[in-house]
Amino acid sequence: MADEKPDIARLVDEAAKAIGLPIAPGSRANVILNVERSLMIARPLLEVELDDELTPGPVFRP
Amino acid sequence: MSDPLSKSATATEIASAVMSGKVKATAVIDATLKRIAESEPTVNAFTDVVAERARKRAAEIDAGAFHGPLMGVPFAVKNLFDIEGLPTRAGSKINVDGPKARRDGALVRKLEAAGAILVGGLNMGEYAYDFTGENAHYGPSRNPRDSSRMTGGSSGGSGAAVASGEVPLALGSDTNGSIRVPSSLCGLFGLKPTYGRLSRAGSFPFVDAFDHLGPLARSVEDLALSFDAMQGWDPDDPVCTDRPADPTLPRLIEGIDGLRIAIAGDYFSRGGEPEAFEAVATVAKALGATRTVVLPEAAVARAAAYVITAIEGAELHLPRLRTRPQDFDPDTRERFMAGALLPGSWYVKAQRFRRRYRANVLKVFDQADVVLAPATPCTAPKLGQVMMKLDGIDLPVRANLGLFTQPISFIGLPVVVAPLQRPGGLPIGVQLIAKPYNEQAALRVAAFLEKQGIASAPPA
Repeated sequence: MADEKPDIARLVDEAAKAIGLPIAPGSRANVILNVERSLMIARPLLEVELDDELTPGPVFRP
Repeated sequence: MSDPLSKSATATEIASAVMSGKVKATAVIDATLKRIAESEPTVNAFTDVVAERARKRAAEIDAGAFHGPLMGVPFAVKNLFDIEGLPTRAGSKINVDGPKARRDGALVRKLEAAGAILVGGLNMGEYAYDFTGENAHYGPSRNPRDSSRMTGGSSGGSGAAVASGEVPLALGSDTNGSIRVPSSLCGLFGLKPTYGRLSRAGSFPFVDAFDHLGPLARSVEDLALSFDAMQGWDPDDPVCTDRPADPTLPRLIEGIDGLRIAIAGDYFSRGGEPEAFEAVATVAKALGATRTVVLPEAAVARAAAYVITAIEGAELHLPRLRTRPQDFDPDTRERFMAGALLPGSWYVKAQRFRRRYRANVLKVFDQADVVLAPATPCTAPKLGQVMMKLDGIDLPVRANLGLFTQPISFIGLPVVVAPLQRPGGLPIGVQLIAKPYNEQAALRVAAFLEKQGIASAPPA
């Protein structure tokens, strides 16, 4: 992970444009907040190291 | 034995009374519909009551048309289950404009084949992306133990309908905790079976990787009775197991002899309010459980479950987010939109991690048959509450009520929630977690706790 703080507002604006998702001005702040929150919650996953051999199961069987 | 027409009657008691001819199914349905009419202004559990259909079926049962172990038992389903002739709301306004279901969902058909009678569809958080039971379109379901508080969600109406005594049995869905959270906050027994154990055909999806369906009830016997009636392979659900049905009801009398029971430590022993851990300690003491086990990397599992949910859920709803954003509940819309913008590499990493976590957690079950953990980090928050303090830290309610349930459904383990009623306080539940397909072990532990008076679920 880069040390520099990501510009989430810009990410939201550009990514939404790229996938054709209109975000109303009244929703934008909350979408940004939720992406920031996702980044925080996902952090333990993003920091973990996985072996190259570890593949997802195409059909998950518990 | 409760009066079969009262709100205290369990499904087992009603079925027994109808089978023996002590009471007519039509009388049961009349009493149920009356209770629903009386309770709804307080609990707001139902979005659809199918009174005419229920009365017709009850009359057919009284005429001898159907027999089965759930004969005459009224039940209701979260409104993401298909009900023939109705649009499948899934908590949304948008789906009401969609097609009406052409037939009932698979589990509705199975329960009715066993003699049960559907009385309606239940309120839920929009598209099941919810732990609160609140809904901007239909109003919040209200906790019957304290109507100023949340039921928990997303199966909020299921929790409210059973805890209020409107019906003895309801079905819900659980992707990250949506059966277990309302069971805990409303003080009910709930069963989230093994992933793939029960058919999801004829239900509106949320996150295919984690979606489960299951019952909420006021007795363990009712959980087992309904679970047994719903088991069996269904070609209409590609993940439904072809393992033979494994009846659990006959095994409840075995008690806990021979079961190794342990307490989940580490992640599951911190980050909640004291009452969550006190409940686990009370249950552990009653069971004589002293050993602690660690489900390795549970915090990473929670993160991975969050990522998969956000991305799969967003992808499912992307066309509607583009065309009808104004018709979403604002509390779900912006979370779905955020999920649509997250990197795909996060999703793949979460799925790869899932295999490692599964392998390591299954090793824990070499040493224990049932593992105890809190179901929720706290009792029911106030309706409308946005933030809560957990272990001294301010956190959003919506994202954190499922803190202890997410790492379990992430790998599809079966769980029974055992509810502890707290005199002068609100109830809270304990998760009884077993290895895949070992629902009977968790149900036996729950039955033991119920018999000892530790866990109970009287109507409010």
